[in-house]
Amino acid sequence: MSSKSGMKKVLVIDDNPTIVELIKYAVKLQGMYQVIVAYDGEQGLQRVLTEQPDCVIIDVKMPKMDGNQLVRCLRGDAATANIPLIILSAMTREEDQLTGLLSGADEYLTKPFKPAALNDTIERVLRLTPDDRQRRTDDLSQRD
Amino acid sequence: MFKSICELLALGRLQILFVENDLNIRERMQRALGQGFLVECVASITEAKSYLDTSVPDILISEVVVGPENGLDLCRYIRSVPALRSLPIILLTSLATLQDKVAGFRAGTDDYVVKPCEAYHLMARIRLLSRIKRLERHVAMI
Repeated sequence: MSSKSGMKKVLVIDDNPTIVELIKYAVKLQGMYQVIVAYDGEQGLQRVLTEQPDCVIIDVKMPKMDGNQLVRCLRGDAATANIPLIILSAMTREEDQLTGLLSGADEYLTKPFKPAALNDTIERVLRLTPDDRQRRTDDLSQRD
Repeated sequence: MFKSICELLALGRLQILFVENDLNIRERMQRALGQGFLVECVASITEAKSYLDTSVPDILISEVVVGPENGLDLCRYIRSVPALRSLPIILLTSLATLQDKVAGFRAGTDDYVVKPCEAYHLMARIRLLSRIKRLERHVAMI
């Protein structure tokens, strides 16, 4: 849900405070987003439910609940199933990326990241509709 | 030799153990999921454990509230038994609070789906989780 200022709200979930600050800086460069943060998966889930962000950027390797579990948890409830989700992870193998997308992430970016690429990705996922997301899910679930 | 055409058709289909004490939901899901998977339904955690003593399905789907029993206990049991530890689990439940979801993942579920859920969506999630687990096995072998 957009903030009072009309800015879109982006939630960043990462257990590394330095990375969080880098992402905050990169996203704020655009001047279009209010950034809120969480430092583990469970805290991130709590912030999604209380803050209703417009977009969530999620690390994979985190304490308590990992990023893929968090993505599946959000996609498994109609109340949160259509929130734009981006995984931003240092895990760069093809299998890691596919796991993130199969879990339900709209996009998978790897660290280190370029601020422009991150902002382009945010813009792209904000444009996705529930139908787009459903088509993606259908496609991924029917491939073998 | 295959005993019947049904046996032949069943080859390669994922086997689902569905744990739910509500008869209506059990019957509805058996019909719906049965179109794509081999589905075995049980009405209690005790029955589920007995089933798992002799057979390991490809995926287990359980409610959290199963009569007086608790699906989270089943998750913890599965994660504690070496032969079952890697069994993919989906909790399909009407419990939808933050605390419920956190408790589900802490107990060891792989996925958490809140009711009501269209069978069509559940079938997609079963296939997605199955692919994720295959990927994990592949990575573990590298």
